Amino acid sequence: MNKEDNIEKFLRENKPVVKDDPTFLLETNRRLKSVEGIKTEVDRQRANGRMALVVALAIGIMLGATAMFIGYLYPVNPEQMKAGFLFNAIALIESWKQYLIVPVAILSLTLTFVLTSARKKAL
Amino acid sequence: MTRERFIDLVRTEQEPLRRFLLGLCSGNRSMADDIAQDALVRAYVASGSFLGLSKFSTWLFRIAYNCFIDQCRKASLDTVSDESFEAQTVLSDDSTDDQFRYQQLYIALDKIPDKERAAIVLHYFEDRDIKEIASIMQIPSGTVKYLLSVGRNHLKEQMTI
Repeated sequence: MNKEDNIEKFLRENKPVVKDDPTFLLETNRRLKSVEGIKTEVDRQRANGRMALVVALAIGIMLGATAMFIGYLYPVNPEQMKAGFLFNAIALIESWKQYLIVPVAILSLTLTFVLTSARKKAL
Repeated sequence: MTRERFIDLVRTEQEPLRRFLLGLCSGNRSMADDIAQDALVRAYVASGSFLGLSKFSTWLFRIAYNCFIDQCRKASLDTVSDESFEAQTVLSDDSTDDQFRYQQLYIALDKIPDKERAAIVLHYFEDRDIKEIASIMQIPSGTVKYLLSVGRNHLKEQMTI
């Protein structure tokens, strides 16, 4: 038997023995009781977060559906838009599209920084 | 999850959990039990986020492993030297024959890196497969295999079997 097998055999045969300790569960129960309030608050915040997500999703779907519905009801002639603000904005983005990553990156970094700071403060 | 339901689930898991942490803490029973209590409190507070995507024990072990890592970070900030920690690790436990049997193993485990120790303990003491260990330690399966191989080699160097 080589040393590799020996070490595996040794490890398997020498598992630490942990005796059943009733005081451990009693202590656990005592600690769990003391954090009951924190758990309730965490559960409440989680439920609020889930609700906000569902509401945001529902509002998004409703707004999207409404926009599509209006778009079908009142179709716009693209030729009429050519002189408008939207057309100019799209043309501007098109001509600067290679630099579009810069504002997106700045925005992402700023958001990350702000959210991290807010989280640190909350903790 | 109610406290009673949580305690019921923990009742069956407490022994493997404490054994896992005892191995991770290289035999320091009081430190292992402290981390186990801390992990159980964290798990209870976060039990609303347990979606049942993994086994309850895997989820609990992951939290316990993270608690151990936090504890190690805290300990590394302390000014206690490695030598005194090692002495405390071995001598703080009861010096019965049973404890003495494990001293060689614990001293060797204490000398290998935490991640290797965690992989070794989970695989050989808790009989967890590679996939489960990867899930607990949140690392790829390939890394677990590597840690087991390197960990075994390091243990071989430390021990005279």
